[in-house]
Amino acid sequence: MRLPARSSALATLLTFAWVLVAPADAQAPKRGGTLRVSYGNEIAHLDFHTAPGYEMMWVAMNIGCGLVNITPDGRFVGDAAESWQVAPDGLLYTFKLKKSVLFHDGTAVDAASVKFSIDRLMDPNTKSGMRSFYESIHSVEVLDPLTVQIRLKHPYAFMLHMLAAYRTGLVLYSPTATQKFSLEDRKQGKPGAVVGCGPFKLVEWVKGSHLVMDRFDKYFVAGQPYLDRVMIRVIKDPVAEMAAFKAGEIDFIASFSPEHVDNLKVQAPKAQIMTGKETTPMLAAMKVTVPADGKPMSKERKPHPIFGDLKVRKAVGCYGIDRKEIVKIAFKGQATPWVGMNPPGTLDTVDVNHLCPYDPAKAKAMLAEAGYGPSKPLTFDIIADNEKSVFNVIATVIKEQMARLGATANIRVVDKVSWMNTTLQDGPWDMYVEDLLSLITLDSNGYLSNSSSTWSHPRHNDKRTDELYARYARELDPAKRKAIAKEIQEFFVENMYWNNISGSPFYMVAQPWMKGYTYNAEFEVHYHTVWLDK
Amino acid sequence: MRVYLLRRLLHIVPTVLMITLVVFVMMRSVPGDPVVALLGDAYTEEDAVKVREVYGLDKPVLVQYVIWLGKLVRGDWGASILSGRPVLQDVLVRLPVTLELILLSMAIALAIAIPAALIGALRQNTWADYTATSVAMIGVSIPEFFIGVLLLLVFSFGLNGFLPSSGWVYLPGTCPMMVCGVSLWGNVQHVLMPAIALGVGRAAILTRLLRSSMLEVIRSEYVTTARAKGLSERPVVLKHALKNALIPTVTVMGLQVGFLIGGAIVVETLFAMPGLGTFGIDAIIARDYQQVQGFALITAFAFVVINLLVDLTYTFLDPRIRYA
Amino acid sequence: MTKPIRGGSLQEAELPRPASVAWTAPAVRSESPFAEGLRRLRRSHTAVVGAAIVAVLLVVAIFADVLAPYSPSTNDQTTTFARPSWDHPLGTDQMGRDMLSRVIHGTRISLLIGVSSVLLALFLGVPIGMIAGYYGGRIDGLLMRVMDLILAFPIYLLAIILMVIFTPTAGLIGTMKVTGAIAIVRIPIYARLVRGSVLSIKEKEFVEACRALGVRDPWILLRHVLPNCLAPIIVTTTLGIATSIIVEATLSFLGLGTQPPTPSWGWDLKANVAFIQANLWLSLFPGLAIFVTVLGFNLFGDGLRDALDPRLK
Repeated sequence: MRLPARSSALATLLTFAWVLVAPADAQAPKRGGTLRVSYGNEIAHLDFHTAPGYEMMWVAMNIGCGLVNITPDGRFVGDAAESWQVAPDGLLYTFKLKKSVLFHDGTAVDAASVKFSIDRLMDPNTKSGMRSFYESIHSVEVLDPLTVQIRLKHPYAFMLHMLAAYRTGLVLYSPTATQKFSLEDRKQGKPGAVVGCGPFKLVEWVKGSHLVMDRFDKYFVAGQPYLDRVMIRVIKDPVAEMAAFKAGEIDFIASFSPEHVDNLKVQAPKAQIMTGKETTPMLAAMKVTVPADGKPMSKERKPHPIFGDLKVRKAVGCYGIDRKEIVKIAFKGQATPWVGMNPPGTLDTVDVNHLCPYDPAKAKAMLAEAGYGPSKPLTFDIIADNEKSVFNVIATVIKEQMARLGATANIRVVDKVSWMNTTLQDGPWDMYVEDLLSLITLDSNGYLSNSSSTWSHPRHNDKRTDELYARYARELDPAKRKAIAKEIQEFFVENMYWNNISGSPFYMVAQPWMKGYTYNAEFEVHYHTVWLDK
Repeated sequence: MRVYLLRRLLHIVPTVLMITLVVFVMMRSVPGDPVVALLGDAYTEEDAVKVREVYGLDKPVLVQYVIWLGKLVRGDWGASILSGRPVLQDVLVRLPVTLELILLSMAIALAIAIPAALIGALRQNTWADYTATSVAMIGVSIPEFFIGVLLLLVFSFGLNGFLPSSGWVYLPGTCPMMVCGVSLWGNVQHVLMPAIALGVGRAAILTRLLRSSMLEVIRSEYVTTARAKGLSERPVVLKHALKNALIPTVTVMGLQVGFLIGGAIVVETLFAMPGLGTFGIDAIIARDYQQVQGFALITAFAFVVINLLVDLTYTFLDPRIRYA
Repeated sequence: MTKPIRGGSLQEAELPRPASVAWTAPAVRSESPFAEGLRRLRRSHTAVVGAAIVAVLLVVAIFADVLAPYSPSTNDQTTTFARPSWDHPLGTDQMGRDMLSRVIHGTRISLLIGVSSVLLALFLGVPIGMIAGYYGGRIDGLLMRVMDLILAFPIYLLAIILMVIFTPTAGLIGTMKVTGAIAIVRIPIYARLVRGSVLSIKEKEFVEACRALGVRDPWILLRHVLPNCLAPIIVTTTLGIATSIIVEATLSFLGLGTQPPTPSWGWDLKANVAFIQANLWLSLFPGLAIFVTVLGFNLFGDGLRDALDPRLK
């Protein structure tokens, strides 16, 4: 039947329109639903400025908001800040805030609250782990309700990186809520005490059970977040996690054990497995100095009886460890053997693998020079904490490799708390295997490696590292910075202060119906663009 | 009788206190403390010293204990140093899970043990008896976690995930939080395997005991007298023997509570249940002193109270036993 | 009036008896109690089977080095997660260690810990029980208070905290720590057992007579009191070994027992549950090993109990 001319034209138009619109329709985010997330570790507590651990950070990034965020390709996008300007000398950062950004308690996010938050972080009494990042800040000034200015003491090339993504990045605290509620209230997640300006507001946290956050209706990005609710459960066992994922009980695994990835691919072939170049170093750190007077954390140091000798450190760490073999066994080849302290995926990373090729003959010779041999065999302890079973696997392979050099390594597996107590309090240890923290820039590693930091476990006390880091942080020219980064990598390898084995791979797993998530390693975990296609 | 009862009730308090004191002191002897974990990346010696002062960790151990006791008397179980969460609140949230697990395990144990023991006692030295005894012997020799692993293998990893391997769904009406998964079938799915894993071991022990004590009673004077009176076999056994055999069973069930609590720790860990068992062991490993105290307090209290109840039931059931 | 003795073997408490039947030493018979016991033992099926299992286990434990094809801690990176084959009858684990060797060497560790923890508990508990029962009064009160305190703890709670204090390690020291922790928890059982026996014998006339004759107390304890406790001690010990092995396996399962690379059934079971879907046998065989061992000791202990006092059947 022939349609009248007008209707056939209309029909054609409609058909066209349908063709154009339909695929877009399939991609348009659907509003609603609960995202069920699984963590492998407990959340420490909910005072974002002081709590340790990734699990807390990933919550803070969704309940809280900051000034800026960083995209996977390294560009900065505004969070609560609409725009910003950096003075040519690099000493003045001026941020213009978006209008109508609100905290969950209804108070406005203004310049005063930004000042309040940064001052709080810098205050020694807050005891924030991020305090050292704000070291370069001289003061914060409120120019007008929506404009805040940060004045630096000296140029700091990573100011924006730091504000965006060092640990939680800057998390803005509401002055009203902070003054109304105590630290303990915030830590335990008391209703009304944990207040941020992010897309989700805290509903309930029951440690050991779940954390629930609901959409904040007055979020400053219209239409977002799409999800009604995010529910986080802690499933410590990767196999249980896999089983729950396969059964469709969870939608997203925030950090999945690399050892079981292959198994997961078989169990759940349609899962989206996200990973990238490693941004976390896997270390076999050696202790360099011990307290001279026997008192932990003493300023007086003497060389560690075994690894205080550079020759031994190089023999064991540089030439005596076959990094490729470790990666093959521990990670089934899914990691990068890496000598440098700066992991493969971190900014300004430099490959210095050529400085430490596997050479057992050379290692043996160096050990002999240092006085070790069949009559005086090298014996030391490796501690591995049981947070990840891969630490023990790596330690075991190292033990094997040491045996080839005629050295004996004894492995001690301890729980994470014991490990922290031993290493942080200058306790007795020789070598440990751990992967510490992810690094978005080499600069964020400073607090780990410089001479005075408590987290500089080897206690090398070499002030030259401080100088190198400082130069690196203050160099505004990217090319020159890269050169300094190379210097730092080489310096650490030459002195074997930090013995790196490889990168530590990071995986996130999502169900096929979870859409809109932007993978940015451990640094940015945001749910406000996520929607469920079901 | 009443004097005895009063004396026993009063006795609960010092016993529980002793246990909590010992736990308190023992936890302080564990190398490492929670302050390091609390400060995490921000750890510096000076801050650590200040924090220890704030939480009173620098005072002598006994003084700390007395302070804890003082707060306890006012109903304050303290708050976790690590998470800031009030201990009592957390304990109450976890309690329904463990309670359900233990009660269901005991029910399963009894449901298996009583018929098995009856068969064993009534048909002693027959095939049925040998089977029942052998099965009981096997059940006694398997650790709970292995039963749990086998169950997981069959029902979670096999059979297409018929039963979930971890987590918890609450029974309607028992949810202690704002947001809960609540459903009867969900609850059954989550509690079934752990309860079986925990109950089977207990069933085995109970079967053996119930059977031997029933045998003993059957041989004893009661039954001969009753038979002499001309009562028929069945009611004689069931009424007298079972009732009398229940006495040692009740006693043993009371003794089993200690192992139930320990077994609950293991089973809850294996099945990742949010109960008191995982609460306790996580607290111990994290050196979360306040939480460990809360855990010790409630387990000691439950243990002592149940033992008292068992003793009392024992008294009621066996008229010949009287405590001066 | 006899109050039910709490404890006894882990698996079964001494049953409370009707007051009319008191436990007494066996009367003089035509053959020595020992020979009669042995005869009964040989006739009991359970005891024979149990003894056979225990004997096999002892052989495996003693000759582990010879029997095991590989060392339990050698890693062979090229053959991780191997399926059972002639080369590796029980396959290999994540680090290429031969499972069969680990299970065999695990026998040695489990038996070592099981037996020594019980012996240690005996060594400490028996004297405590004897002194408490014999001397009575304040000493008895004090000692039994301490024993009650230990008993008041749910067994695993105490064992877990003790292990956290000791800090689990590998090797011989680690094994000793686990032994110590388990032993401490078990002492009260033997103490109470012995004390109960002592109490029932203390009042007998021949003991009075000995004292009147001037025989010294320790001699009395050793010569007259101890032999009468022997039977329940032996039974409790054997069953106690079974329990100790389960406790050790459970502690290892929780990560608080012997640490790798020391081969431990509980630890192997736990570590390999993660891979259970593809490599079932890695968890299964350590579990079966635990089961068979505990079963053996339980059967043997049961048989012993039947042989030494048939009224307990």
